[in-house]
Amino acid sequence: MPDMRRTGSAHDPLWYKDAIIYELPVKSFCDANADGIGDFQGLHQKLDYLQSLGVTCLWLLPFFPSPLKDDGYDIADYVNVHPSYGTMEDFKTFLQAAHERGLQVVVELVLNHTSDQHPWFQRARSAPAGSPERDYYVWSNTKQRYEQSRVIFVDAEPSNWTWDPVAEAYYWHRFFHHQPDLNYDNPAVVREMLAVLDFWIDLGVDGFRLDAVPYLVERDQSSCENLPETHAIIKAIRRHIDERTPGRMLLGEANQLPADVRSYFGDGDECHMAYHFPLMPRIFMGLHLEDRQPIADVMERTPSIPDSCQWALFLRNHDELTLEMVTDIERDYMYLAYSMDPQARLNIGIRRRLAPLLGNDRRRIELLIGLLFSFPGTPIVYYGDEIGMGDNLYLGDRNGVRTPMQWTGDRNAGFSRCNPARLYSPVIMDAVYGYDAVSVEAQDSDTASLLYWMRNMIRLRQLFKVFGRGTMEFLSPSNRKVLAYVRRYRDDTILCVANLSRAVQPAELDLGAFVGLVPVEMLGYTEFPAIGTLPYFLTLGPYAFYWFELQRPRS
Amino acid sequence: MPDGGAGVDVIVGLTSHNDVGTVGAVVRALQDGLARYAASSAVRFVLADAGSTDGTREAVREAVGPSALVEVESGRGAELGEPPYHGQHGREAALRAIIETTHRLGARACTVIDARLQSVEPEWIDRLLVPVLADGFDYVSPYYARPVAEGAITKGIVYPMFRALYGVRLRQPAAGEFGCSGRLAAHYLEQDFWDAEFAPVGIDLWLAVAAACGEFRSCEAVLGTRGAVSRGAPTDLSTTLKQVVGSLFADLERRVDVWQRVRGSRAIPIRGAVGGMDPQAPTGNVDGLMESFRLGYRELREIWTWVLPPRSIVELRTLTETAAERFRFDDRLWAGIVYDFAVGYSLRVMPRDHLLRSLTPLYSGWLASFVLQMEGASLQGIEERVERVCLAFESEKRHLISRWRWPERLR
Repeated sequence: MPDMRRTGSAHDPLWYKDAIIYELPVKSFCDANADGIGDFQGLHQKLDYLQSLGVTCLWLLPFFPSPLKDDGYDIADYVNVHPSYGTMEDFKTFLQAAHERGLQVVVELVLNHTSDQHPWFQRARSAPAGSPERDYYVWSNTKQRYEQSRVIFVDAEPSNWTWDPVAEAYYWHRFFHHQPDLNYDNPAVVREMLAVLDFWIDLGVDGFRLDAVPYLVERDQSSCENLPETHAIIKAIRRHIDERTPGRMLLGEANQLPADVRSYFGDGDECHMAYHFPLMPRIFMGLHLEDRQPIADVMERTPSIPDSCQWALFLRNHDELTLEMVTDIERDYMYLAYSMDPQARLNIGIRRRLAPLLGNDRRRIELLIGLLFSFPGTPIVYYGDEIGMGDNLYLGDRNGVRTPMQWTGDRNAGFSRCNPARLYSPVIMDAVYGYDAVSVEAQDSDTASLLYWMRNMIRLRQLFKVFGRGTMEFLSPSNRKVLAYVRRYRDDTILCVANLSRAVQPAELDLGAFVGLVPVEMLGYTEFPAIGTLPYFLTLGPYAFYWFELQRPRS
Repeated sequence: MPDGGAGVDVIVGLTSHNDVGTVGAVVRALQDGLARYAASSAVRFVLADAGSTDGTREAVREAVGPSALVEVESGRGAELGEPPYHGQHGREAALRAIIETTHRLGARACTVIDARLQSVEPEWIDRLLVPVLADGFDYVSPYYARPVAEGAITKGIVYPMFRALYGVRLRQPAAGEFGCSGRLAAHYLEQDFWDAEFAPVGIDLWLAVAAACGEFRSCEAVLGTRGAVSRGAPTDLSTTLKQVVGSLFADLERRVDVWQRVRGSRAIPIRGAVGGMDPQAPTGNVDGLMESFRLGYRELREIWTWVLPPRSIVELRTLTETAAERFRFDDRLWAGIVYDFAVGYSLRVMPRDHLLRSLTPLYSGWLASFVLQMEGASLQGIEERVERVCLAFESEKRHLISRWRWPERLR
């Protein structure tokens, strides 16, 4: 039988190390059929925009058939497209067009749970206890099992167990009660999920985001997180991918401390990438404190990872700015600093976009993106953040950061031609962030816009593999408002210096290891005085950041 | 994996298309040269013919003999549209076939010669192959003597920009003839440019770029003047410029990680005596070139403002108002213009074809200035003048890197 598998678009098996990932919900990006909901045809129409932005990889939030009680993370059919977003043919056409533009595509693989509407669950709840069908999920006659396991959505769920009157038993769910956890002790479940993986691989997708990956397996007397049995499942998935189509990437979502996340890389035989969750709140904290210590601390506590692996870095995403991985005092500080409006708080976090979090201060936005792009890892840009989109705190759950993309100042922000009342979500309309003020069209015609700045930054970053692949060493200037670090990869040595303060700051850098080299500022290619034996003195404007190539002097 | 069983040392590649009038003499000259300079080497001729109908293939078979000839598939001229400036249909396919044969037979050295040349001498073997066979060079680039206005695109754009970008002083990096080592041939086959846009016209330049960007030793070979029979109506200047500059700019995007790290340039050895060459008298309709420049300023100024900063536009305006006897195109201005067009090409500020063609009047202005300055100049004088252009390109490279990294959108 001929091999029908289509190849992905990337030639380098480590392509994800040099990627810039753009995260988007299909429903929010562009509506081509005027039904008020974004779709694949609309996304296809906007691929030229994404290519011109310079991102190299698209991460699509769940687009599968679903009752949409958790924005698609409650999947009712893993191998199809939700009719609101189009057809499977639309997806294939989009995927091919993305690959033609050199864009990789990563899709969600929600391993941990399904929707309670999934046929597997409907079959399970009706099947006799102990039957193979019932065994697809985790059942109990009592709520007293796995009591050491925390409840994650504390605002919505009192327990991880919910009674099912049909099955006459409790079922286990680490998230919403309508998302029953699959039973990974059942080999049939593993086989089912590998078949799902194969389905999308055969279509040509380039990677998978493994949602909620620490919670796959449950054991008594444990937190039911990060268990060895869970790692065994991930290794099996990785082995399956490597044997079938090497070059596909697995991105693990493990909202854990770096030391725990480290285990999801295994020995390079589990996930290729994993999120660095603790970094993000500490970047915001360091900025507000005007002190590099929170950032330097978390980076210094970050364990090394196998050469083939990579951290996924982000400032904001489709969820709340999670504060699960900070201390109680740090959490209090973050609430005070960034969410004085209680409406902004959700679960253990803050549901705001990047620009509103930073008071719409262009210099602070640029600084944080400068840090994101120069830290060791692959940056993820959340849709709309490249134009400084705002949010809507009065929409429930995390919907306030999932509003329609603002393309123009026209009706519905150019997102859809439908009656505004039909939109899946109201567009942002306030005076500061509304689509009258913030849109792609407006910023495309303004060479001083954030969009232009982002394009240039992405273009610049992509010239240097050191950002995605290099090592990082922190410098320790006496002024703690200044964050300075050196990135190295092969012949490239890059010095990054950032001022976390609103005021001009001096910095004396110990560059003794680089005496004789010439710092060349990378954005303007401006040569600075050669490094001597004395501390290297720089003056940094408010929220300024500089990247320097350290070059050998001209002969 | 090379098939070394054939015991071949040298490949002599011939590219041809209806060249029956010249190919016999070319083969004889090369055979003489091989007998004289590479007598101990096992040689195969490889003919990459693009569908000749005039008996070219038969003439080569008769001249070389079946045991020493390999015929390979090449592009078919009739299947291709606009003929490239080299006048060689399917050139990239021809070169690829020759290089693949070199690799397959495990040859140590290869040279490629155009069958329409009238100026091939036995000494070309000494110049193009012996540096590879005897001296350890990987790439040998020809150095032809040319009148002032001939090869001026090379003098004014290709050489200065190639040298500034890649740091190697190859004076004619897009020439149709070259010599290369088996090691470099293998490297060529790993490149991803063979099927790229502009490959039929850019391939010679890209081969030189690939050699310059890798760990390979390059040198030049003095070959005198390059005489060739024309294969058809000459391509107009605008099309030629579009093809040559387009292929140069296209490669820029592929090699960013190299050229942005190269500082300065280095001379490379040259085989043969330069001094003995006669550059011939200057030619070129200077008045026509200047008028083309002035007309271009009037008609294309708006297009130029998409890529050129106001300072350049103002300098160009001043130049349009300058009398012919004082007409001088500043080297720094010229280098900046070429670089700004490269950035505009990369950013796709307008259809690339339009952008490249709009460079023609600017080039005419530069060429008029160049010819005026070179009136009565010796070869040495021309070399010195080109050297100053090159230094301007090297000096302005910072401008290119800066704009490439942080483009200033002008419109």
